[in-house]
Order: sequence, then structure tokens, then C-alpha cells
Amino acid sequence: MQTVDRNKKSWSLRDVIFLAIIAIFFGIIYQVWSYAYYGLAATPLKPYANDLTLGVWIMAGPLAGILLQKAGATVVGELLAAAVEMLLFSSWGASTLLSGFIQGIGNELGFAATGYKNWGRTGLLLSTIGATIITFIWDWFQSGYSEYNFGLLATLLIIRFISIGFFAGILVYWIKQLVEKTGLIK
Amino acid sequence: MKAKQKINPAVLSIIMLGIGLQIAFSQSVILNLIVTLVSLAYLIYCRVSLKVLFFTLLVALPLAFGSWWSFLVFGTGDRLHNAWIYGTRVYSYLTLGAAITLTVPVKELLLSLSLHLKLSPTFVYGLLAAFNLFERIRFQFKHIQYSAQMRGKTYYPWQPALYLRIIIVALNWSGDLAEAMTSQGFSEGYERTMTFNDRLPFWQWVLCLTLILAYFWAAFILRPW
Repeated sequence: MQTVDRNKKSWSLRDVIFLAIIAIFFGIIYQVWSYAYYGLAATPLKPYANDLTLGVWIMAGPLAGILLQKAGATVVGELLAAAVEMLLFSSWGASTLLSGFIQGIGNELGFAATGYKNWGRTGLLLSTIGATIITFIWDWFQSGYSEYNFGLLATLLIIRFISIGFFAGILVYWIKQLVEKTGLIK
Repeated sequence: MKAKQKINPAVLSIIMLGIGLQIAFSQSVILNLIVTLVSLAYLIYCRVSLKVLFFTLLVALPLAFGSWWSFLVFGTGDRLHNAWIYGTRVYSYLTLGAAITLTVPVKELLLSLSLHLKLSPTFVYGLLAAFNLFERIRFQFKHIQYSAQMRGKTYYPWQPALYLRIIIVALNWSGDLAEAMTSQGFSEGYERTMTFNDRLPFWQWVLCLTLILAYFWAAFILRPW
């Protein structure tokens, strides 16, 4: 694979720049995407807006994971995207960085569960499940989900899994297939 | 005139994360307001433009309002208290983050993190290289969309083709940049001569620890409203 130094463990300068450039592109996409979010978020439907749009914010991590295919790539990829977002655009401030880290961990756990051997469907499926559960636990505290009624919570969990499943799972898988077709990755 | 003494960016980052993490678990409107006010005071002390501050606060208003309102509609237990906790929490996070992003340039922050918290130079200079491309990346994003429109297509965030274009650009640019930096003498994993130096007096570490512990004490032992 061209993106990676032969030594899969260490981070090369090229890997870092590669992920950072992708992170900045993501920063721009987030900015566009947040208009969709804002429309809903100013109403009591805010929790729906959170969970419905969350997938896009999550996908930088698994994308970095499948492109670099090494332990830690998912967390670092997501953390970089969050750092870029915070430094350049965000209206969430400090919570951007914390959420980015949490999201990265969630996805990373999925790939780790396959022993970092499966970067295909199984790895992505586990990674989306990991991200859904971990981010939900985080929002339980950070966004006060513990105080919502049960009906809303159940709906939110399902919406969240669909959003993350599509953007951070299916879409990332399609991207992977496209990239493989171009021969950029062996 | 003596230059204003600012908190070192590395210490500021630890304060932000140390308190930010605790905010997620605390249940206090008063503490949220205190964090917000202290952050704002620091921002004003650092002479951040009031106009910028005003717009930063304004942009987050819909989010805070949405949070506040959603607890009144869907909440359980003490709805009013919850509404105010999570409404004001948006602002404590916002201003806590702004206390870094609006007072420290990215370059200074990264160099300070490498100097005091041992962030690897590969990351510091790799990130800096990419940040310097920011305007170009923004232009490139438009370029990708324009060239798609030439072919009668529009790219949306849910289409894989958009990301393929992004990945190709990132691959090319990162390869070129890394090569250019290496040929200019950047070596990975070796000692660097640092010309950058920022002051980090010992009292700032004390301040950092005091603030984080004080918040812990107030949020989880004192537990104000």
C-alpha cells in the first residue's frame, strides 16, 4: 500500500500530513453539514438532530483506519479531525476535542476486536457498533441523555445506529471499494 | 511596557481538558456559569476583540436554546434544573475552548505542546505543514465541486466519489510535502534544534493543578445548584 511506511507501527511524516489534509477537508464538510444540524438543533428536537447527523462526524476515524490499516489510526484520525474542527470552525469549543477522542475510541474498539486483521465488512460493522455504544454512553453524561424519557432514548439509539452505520460503515466501505479500484491501495 | 502575562498554551490545554472532562459529569448550573465567566474574563484580559466574542457567543445560542428546550419537553425528574444545566453547559464548553483557540495561534500551540508535553515533532511539523495548506485545501474543495458540476454532477456528503477525490488529493499533496520537508533536512525521530521557546513558570503548573482540583471539589463534593 502506498500510503504507508513499511514499518506499520510508527507514524511517518507522510501519514501525519495525509491524515491532517483529510481532516481539514472533513472540517470543511462538517461546516457545510452543520447547517443541516443547526436547522433542527435550535428546537426541542435537538437530540434528534444530534443522533441523525452524528454519522458524518464519526466517519473520519474509520476512514483513516481503513486507509492506513494500523492500530491507533482510527483514534488519531478522528482526533485530528476534531482538533482541526475546534481550531478552525467549531461552536462546540472544548467538547469537540473530547467527543472526537471518545468517538475515535468507539470505532477503534471495533477494529481492535478483530485483532486489527479485518478492515472489511466485519471490522467496519464492529466499529460502527462500538462507536454507537461508546458515544451513547458519553452522551448519557455529557449531553444529559440520562434525564430523557425512555421512549425518546430508544428512538435515539436506533437513529444513532442508522446514522453511524450508514456514514461510518456503508459509506466508508464504498469509499474503500472505490479506492481499491483505482489501485491506490493494493 | 511589560508584555501581558499569558498562560502557557500547554498548561492551558491541560486546564481545558482537565476541567472539560469533569464538566460532562457535573450537575451544576452555578459551576457552568463560573467556568463561562472565568473563561470570558481571561479572553477579555487577552484583548480578544469584543466583536469576535459576541459572534462566538451568538452562534452557540441556538444550540444552548435547543438543549434547554428539549429537557423541558422530553425530560424526566427536575426538568427546569436539567434544562438550565445542559443549556449553560454549551457555553462553558464553548468559552473553555475559545480560551485557547482565540488566544493562541496554532503554530505556537503545537510548538508549546511539543516543548512541554513531548508531542512528537513528526506530528507537530506534519500538522503545521497541513495547516499551512488550509486556504489551498479550501480552494481545492471548491475545485472538486466545480469540476463535478462541469460533468453535470453535484457531490453531496453521502457520495463516495467526493471522498475518493479528497483522498487522491491528500495522497498526492502529503507525498510531495513529506518529500520536500525531508529534502530540506527534516528527519523523523531525531533530536531537533529548537529555536522556539516559551515561558512556563512553575506557578502555572500550580495554577493548573489548583483549578482542576478546585473544580473537582466544587462539582463532586460541594455540588452547588
